[in-house]
Amino acid sequence: MSEVRVLIVDDSSVMRKIVERSLRQAGLESLVAYEASNGADALEALKNGSVDLILTDINMPSMDGLEFLSRLRSQNLAPGVPVVLITTEGSLDRVKQGIEAGAQHFIHKPFSVEQLRDRVLPLLKTA
Amino acid sequence: MGCTVPQSLRDTHPGICDPKNLDAAVEDVFSMMLGVDCKRMADVSDAESEAEQGTVTAVIGLGGVLSGACIFRCSAPAAIKLVGCMTGMNFSQVDRTVEDGIGEICNMVAGAWRNRMPELAAQCGLSVPAVVSGCGYNLHLQAFEFQLQSAYGFEEVRFSVTIACGGLQQSKPRKK
Repeated sequence: MSEVRVLIVDDSSVMRKIVERSLRQAGLESLVAYEASNGADALEALKNGSVDLILTDINMPSMDGLEFLSRLRSQNLAPGVPVVLITTEGSLDRVKQGIEAGAQHFIHKPFSVEQLRDRVLPLLKTA
Repeated sequence: MGCTVPQSLRDTHPGICDPKNLDAAVEDVFSMMLGVDCKRMADVSDAESEAEQGTVTAVIGLGGVLSGACIFRCSAPAAIKLVGCMTGMNFSQVDRTVEDGIGEICNMVAGAWRNRMPELAAQCGLSVPAVVSGCGYNLHLQAFEFQLQSAYGFEEVRFSVTIACGGLQQSKPRKK
């Protein structure tokens, strides 16, 4: 697979590193990772460059993942780029809000490399 | 108009008091995110003892229908080892990254424990983690209705997880 640019949005720097490492283990060896610690930083990053995939947490300070998704679509940033929610969120209503706002999938933390492989890689093939 | 009626957690949600749910949550987090086989230990005091190099404590608040906290505690060397396993990085001391990692472990344990009870998952929110590290500090908890504490370990690493909960608040119609 050619170079894949992924934006990882999470307020935990450790979790961003884990997601990056897990994606590589899932088969994206040619991954180029960009990081943001909240939705506002992620929007700024997308104004400065395009990506092929976005993975975002929901519960973050400053701007949470749902608000980020809403602004992503309203500002027409990253059109057609698949978004996956990675979250400890237990409320299916909140997850449903994320899906309705444009996310393609959600993955619960903790997650396995296999879960990432099964849910993320097919999105890249169809994007 | 409704009124708030406190109910006993043990009666309404027995899963909260079941240590197997906490064991399963811890085992899920450690197997999936750290790649280690983590088991419950017999003695909590081993995991709670004050290490010479200090301890690291992470707290996640439980809000919404359930009021309480999930507390993760380990020695500084254990914290360094845990976050090293999780990230593949080497640490010589408890720095911001190690604290961030312990907070994230606590967050995932709290989330996995809560999500094992679907009737609570939708109505119980988690706070962002607060992490304290160092020597000679005390963590004061209010007198909660229920407290579940277990110690876990793998290799030489020991840590404890505590779930402390107040009464479940449920809105019921007021009798006339």
